[in-house]
Amino acid sequence: MLQEKLQAIVLSSSDYGESDRIATLFTLEHGRIKGFARGARNSRKRFGPALETFARINLQLLRKDGLSSLKQADVITLYSGIRGELSSIAHALYACELVESITPEGHPVPRLYRLLTTYLERLDSGAGNPEDRRMFEINLLNILGYRPLLEKCSRCGADFGERGALIQSGGELACRICAATGFPMPIQALRELRSCLSTGRFGLVRFTADGILPVGRLLDDVIVSHTGRKLKSLDFLRQTSQM
Amino acid sequence: MLTKSSSLMRLVGELKKLPGIGERTALRLAFHLLKSPQNLTALSESLCEVRDRVHPCSTCFAITETDPCSICSGNRDSSVICVIENSQDLMALERSNAYNGMYHVLEGAISPLSGIGPADLRIGELLSRVTEGQLKEVVIATNFTVEGEATALYLTKALKSTGVKVSRLAHGIPLGSDIEFVDAATVQWALQGRNEL
Repeated sequence: MLQEKLQAIVLSSSDYGESDRIATLFTLEHGRIKGFARGARNSRKRFGPALETFARINLQLLRKDGLSSLKQADVITLYSGIRGELSSIAHALYACELVESITPEGHPVPRLYRLLTTYLERLDSGAGNPEDRRMFEINLLNILGYRPLLEKCSRCGADFGERGALIQSGGELACRICAATGFPMPIQALRELRSCLSTGRFGLVRFTADGILPVGRLLDDVIVSHTGRKLKSLDFLRQTSQM
Repeated sequence: MLTKSSSLMRLVGELKKLPGIGERTALRLAFHLLKSPQNLTALSESLCEVRDRVHPCSTCFAITETDPCSICSGNRDSSVICVIENSQDLMALERSNAYNGMYHVLEGAISPLSGIGPADLRIGELLSRVTEGQLKEVVIATNFTVEGEATALYLTKALKSTGVKVSRLAHGIPLGSDIEFVDAATVQWALQGRNEL
């Protein structure tokens, strides 16, 4: 078995036994994998702080089905800017949990790796905010092929411009003729969501005040329909945004 | 022949539940205890004693046998409270002989990925102590992990309105270590937090 060198972002890690750690990593080369780091809590030399959540690391491991064996990790960045701001920590942990919950194990998704890296860099340079979070989510859904149809009614194919859009359960968008009830989605907000997909940079798209709420509702519904559960970090994200 | 329901296997099962103890170690420990009935009796008595006598202090939530604990009822500086994650951290700080104030044990740290939020910790009790007492300073000594940092930042925000001084333990290069062997992230933090001499 060959030792591989990978780039990874630590999605989560937990203590195991007296001195070991189990980490979930999102690697550029193999997507999401789980790794066992023997003696990680004792060996400052081999791992140091490299298995801290949302750290970006260079990793050496022996790849195995299920639990890979982590040999050594060097920190590229711990994102000290994120660690100094509560809302940024909350958003970064949410992003990591979302990626861990929604990505398949062992399938490389390099575009998503780059998106997560860009989002963490954005959080590292300033406080987390709902607009960047929604930009991250819609691009993540788009990369994984889970994006809802934003251009036209998912049932009849008609353009929303004429009929208006309603959010249905599971994050589906339907026109007012196909669906009698549902949470209204402003057409302007749909345009802004589409703009999020065409720009590769955070901070360029600004949502209108009455657009961010339905956009959030739509994306939350789509995410829950794919993860199958409400993410644990959402409660903390909500609490920090109210402080 | 030992069966799964035998008392020895029950003991092995209980030992296995302890952190860092696997099946083989549990079996080895159980046979070691069997060899010396006096040790077995002493162990069982001390386990019962711990169960009956040790509990968290009603003021600071540190593990104690008296209520309030010796620190809360002793002659210490009551104008400073050091906030820590658990009672083991208290022991480490006491070993340093560098602190003479009071403590407050949170009984954990905010861990959003494990579903542990501020309401699951002793934060409400800390805020009550701060608002009711004549405090000058709260020293936050949570761990330097993401969870510990999140807890420290949350406490800083929650304590802001009380007007009390809030400080955080310093972090950087450990004493007695060579800089060349220290990881880059720690060196970076040490540089950011450097002191004027």
